[in-house]
Amino acid sequence: MTEATRPVTVLISALGGEGGGVMTDWILAAAREQNLIVQATSVPGVAQRTGATTYYIEVFGEKLQPGKPEPIMALYPQAGDIDLMVATELAEAARACQNGFVTPNRTTLISSSHRFYLLDEKMGMADSRLDADALEAAARTMAKRVVIGDFARAAREAGTVINAVMLGAIAGTGILPISAQALENAIKGEGKAVDANLRGFAYGLSVARGDVVELKTPMRKPAPVAEAVPAPTVLERLRDRIARDYPAPSTEIVMEGAARVFDYQDENYARLYLDRMDRVLAAETKADGDYSATREAGRHLALWMTYEDVIRVAQIKTRTGRIDHVRKGSGAKDEQPVIVTEFLKPGLDEFSSLMPAFIARPLLGWAERTGRRDKFNIGLHIRTNTIFGFALLRMMAAFKPLRRSGYRYGVEQALIERWLAAIEAALPHDTAFAREIAETARLIKGYSDTHRRGTRNFQRLFEAIVDPTLAAVNAGPDVYANAAAALATARKAALADPEGDALDKMLMKLGRVAAA
Amino acid sequence: MERSFKTEVESLRLGDGDVFHGEGILAVTKALLQSGVSYVGGYQGSPISHLIDVLVDAKPLMDELGVHLETSTSEAAAGAMLAASINYPIRGAVTWKSPVGTNVASDALSNISSSGLVGGGMIILGEDYGEGASVIQERSHAFAMKSSMWLLDPRPNLTTIVNMVEKGFELSEASNSIVMMQLRIRTCHVYGRFDAKDNRSGTISRNNKLSTPEFDMMRLPQPGFTGAQERLKMDKRLPAAIQFIKDNKLNEVLPGDLSEVGIILQGGITNTVLRVMQRIGLADAFGNARIPMMVLNVTYPMVPDEISNFCAGKRAVLVMEEGHPDYIEQAVSTILRRADLNTKLHGKDVLPMGGEYTADVVLKGLAAFLDKTRPAGVDHLIEEANAQSAEIAGYKTQANALVGAAIPGRNPTFCTGCPERPIFSSVKLMERELGKTHVSGDIGCHSFGMYAPFNVGNTCVGYGLGLASSTGIAANFGKRTISIMGDGGFWHNGLTTGVASATYNNADSVLIVMKNGYTSATGWQFLPSSLQRRDGLVKGDQTVENALKGVGIKWMKTVNNYKVADVAKVLKEAMSTVEKGLKVIIAEGECMLAKQRRVRAEDAKNIAEGKRVAKPKFGIDEAVCTGDHSCIRLSGCPSLAIKDNPDKLRQDPIATVVETCVGCGLCGEVSHAAILCPSFYKTEVVHNPSWIEARMTGLRRRVIAWLATPEAAPTPALPVPAAFAQAAE
Repeated sequence: MTEATRPVTVLISALGGEGGGVMTDWILAAAREQNLIVQATSVPGVAQRTGATTYYIEVFGEKLQPGKPEPIMALYPQAGDIDLMVATELAEAARACQNGFVTPNRTTLISSSHRFYLLDEKMGMADSRLDADALEAAARTMAKRVVIGDFARAAREAGTVINAVMLGAIAGTGILPISAQALENAIKGEGKAVDANLRGFAYGLSVARGDVVELKTPMRKPAPVAEAVPAPTVLERLRDRIARDYPAPSTEIVMEGAARVFDYQDENYARLYLDRMDRVLAAETKADGDYSATREAGRHLALWMTYEDVIRVAQIKTRTGRIDHVRKGSGAKDEQPVIVTEFLKPGLDEFSSLMPAFIARPLLGWAERTGRRDKFNIGLHIRTNTIFGFALLRMMAAFKPLRRSGYRYGVEQALIERWLAAIEAALPHDTAFAREIAETARLIKGYSDTHRRGTRNFQRLFEAIVDPTLAAVNAGPDVYANAAAALATARKAALADPEGDALDKMLMKLGRVAAA
Repeated sequence: MERSFKTEVESLRLGDGDVFHGEGILAVTKALLQSGVSYVGGYQGSPISHLIDVLVDAKPLMDELGVHLETSTSEAAAGAMLAASINYPIRGAVTWKSPVGTNVASDALSNISSSGLVGGGMIILGEDYGEGASVIQERSHAFAMKSSMWLLDPRPNLTTIVNMVEKGFELSEASNSIVMMQLRIRTCHVYGRFDAKDNRSGTISRNNKLSTPEFDMMRLPQPGFTGAQERLKMDKRLPAAIQFIKDNKLNEVLPGDLSEVGIILQGGITNTVLRVMQRIGLADAFGNARIPMMVLNVTYPMVPDEISNFCAGKRAVLVMEEGHPDYIEQAVSTILRRADLNTKLHGKDVLPMGGEYTADVVLKGLAAFLDKTRPAGVDHLIEEANAQSAEIAGYKTQANALVGAAIPGRNPTFCTGCPERPIFSSVKLMERELGKTHVSGDIGCHSFGMYAPFNVGNTCVGYGLGLASSTGIAANFGKRTISIMGDGGFWHNGLTTGVASATYNNADSVLIVMKNGYTSATGWQFLPSSLQRRDGLVKGDQTVENALKGVGIKWMKTVNNYKVADVAKVLKEAMSTVEKGLKVIIAEGECMLAKQRRVRAEDAKNIAEGKRVAKPKFGIDEAVCTGDHSCIRLSGCPSLAIKDNPDKLRQDPIATVVETCVGCGLCGEVSHAAILCPSFYKTEVVHNPSWIEARMTGLRRRVIAWLATPEAAPTPALPVPAAFAQAAE
């Protein structure tokens, strides 16, 4: 054995509950089996409460011998000095890169490619996720050698925790002066869930031993797709119309939209969808656009026309596929009973949506004035594994024919028409602005309070930006260019916080700019 | 405690000839037993919790050795235990997290230090400083100086640490003073080895009790005697300590050929400094450094001769001292001045005043020192060090550019299924109706409520001080204020500083006591009101409720935390009732981590025995969720995550429940209470169903399959565009 001049440095970044401590213990046990000089430390702190936690290990590649001087073992990882970086999640790998713990002069990086989203990413009202491609690019660029794979999925499929898979990958890289056999022995020595851990270990080992193997293809073959049911003739008719009239960039979305609307209501409603889309299409064709406005309008119109009322929710929750999905998700085996409880809390909004407008409007007006809008909700725990519970929900779904005569239907259609008319009016002047108008519909989603807030924001955007811009028809192209950007910014501001503070500020600023 | 430390307990039994392998804090525990302690006490907290936890599990060994173990209810209680060594030659040790615990214990420590010790008394301090710390950032050093206690800061290898524990007791006895040993977080968790020795029983112990008390006015810090005790500290104890440190060579001088300069440093950061020196070519892997080093394993008091001898003949020295103020540097400065030495003094001019001295920080400071002093023959090494620093900075810049955004931190939060999370959901809902009010927070797991997504809690000033910290503002706030306290904080001091005091002063505010049954944040230790005691016996009537009644609380309501709407209702009532006085809401819900540890085992046993068990879990209907994430903003549960929207038309990620869900029920309750959305559903898989249930399930499934709404018809395929069709041919 050659004289070791420095220890091999290993930094492990794990999240609470991923067994980073156990992984460290395995490495220590294996090093001890080989009588190597090893030291490890960690900063768990409050990290077991789902925070990030790091473990730092130094292994000196020489055997412990009495009388021989012992090396100094350090307790801190140094930037630019890590031989092996192990990250159990992609953002943590990227964070390690940012901290200088992954550098091209030295570091082999083992990272799982899956994401465990940060709270900041989860809390956003729309999509606040970090760019996963950028995270992966950093990991790939900054490391001397990289082993990336979806180790979380591998662990799931092996029935184990991610630490066993990562340990296999560590063994596979050969960076540590510890044999794969010794690491395997450590798993066996610990004696907990040995078979599952060894399965995970073997997988990680194989990934790391292949040069840069990636887990792009599923480990298991995908379940066979259910036999294709022939599409009903209604959808075929719609399909033919779309194929005939719509240009390629929009067909897929418009087809999906038409099918969605048909599933939601009936053929007539689907035709109404296409009639509306025809107006947008005609305007964009005339404006010589790239049909992205048509595509986005097609997307949001379909979602808007299939607004989630009680009937829709009941329809979704009583579907054959959904029943199977719930059962599968519960992890039930064979004939095990599964009790399913639905949490529904219908209130004034839901009931009035099916009433005629002349009753619903004054009723809701009174409730709003007196602050009683959310006072009449009935909290229901419906057991849909029972015949009675299921039948109750199924009955709600059966109210479908009443929908188009209800109050909410009228309200939604009026708002849709206002939106459509604006898109149509904007297209001849500026397709980008028109597309932005189409996108404003993204604000309207959800239920009860969320839905009311979205609708209110949508209306504010119309009053502050869309309507004034469209009214200034002759003001020249500049107005529109600015308007498209302003509308995009305002939409993002509306999604920045539920209280609407960011939108208030943004609109106020806009008002000042316009006045100046 | 719901965790077992069987392996750790075994390693406490090692003796002469054995090699101990394990964590730093466990090595200290073993060193205490090798030193012949007769009593050990402490209050749990990272990073020293294990010392107490392991000893709790080591009851048979403690009985053999005659060691008394006190799981104290506060650091004040633990610190006061050292009084045993005032009159009698009996060794003992106490432990806590510092500086917070030392703050709490100070009253006792000051008085004991005045009285002086005849038996060895040690405090093991978990110095919670730097990254990963969970408390305010201060140093324990100041306590040592003000109360004449000696501070050990050993090199972070187990052999030195264990040796310093043993020597520490001797130092304590030789100087009649308390000795503190500070161990940094990484040192407590460091895994290493040392040659074990046999455990020793104290000459006086539970197995060999004292029979007569000693009385001596000089051991009582009473008027007329404290002045004399003060003089003893200066004239006798300090010189004795300095002599002992010198005679026993507790500090180390490491030679080096660049003798025109030198480094004086705390023992605890020695390995970091040596590794950094190795990296820039100034040391080898075995700690042979080119710059001479004076390693202070004892950082207070310092030995003036040792410092002046080390500095004599040197152009410059660098003091490496973690944290501020720069006590050691100031002391070195005085010593140099008094010895009339002209050695230039560097320290905080090249190193940061505050913050942890990580390897990267040390590298920068060392390079700056060398740059300023330029010892002969190392210019090329300085260039190299600077080049290395520049290279690393370049890599960091590159990585930042590639990621394109700062990655937000992962702040600690409530565990999956935590019973304290729903309370904060309820506070949020209450605030929607009654508006926000001032919330005086406290320390414990419930502190996480101050983080997003709740951001509830306007102040946080100390453990158990939630209610006490509200009394000044409550009187001056236009609404009833709320304060929060855990059952840990309640027994630590909240009952007296908070409840008794506020009630006595006619407080008219609201107190929420989180009753989860353990001091969970420190590792699930039992407390007086736990369902079990540490010896496994069922406890008596030492309950939070009885204590509250005892101090005169009239308005007291116990809520089931997970019933969010009900809790919000009780909160509203407490906020608006005309009844005066302190209104206490007891938020009842067992710590989920502790509960799961127990329930999982029970469930497995019951399933194996053929008993009916229903295992709950939540799910989300993907097609019903519209991706607004309100549910996440009212919960923040780690098991409530997001994923790509499987829908072709929708773009925003949808909420999803991951496998770690324990089915606590909060998702359903919140979506009900806040009228969120109908996406959530709960499943309960029934193991070992009864014959009737199994038959019913079959029947139900057949009928439901027949009743079910058919799937949406598949979207027909679009014809391949002409251009592609041609290309394919």
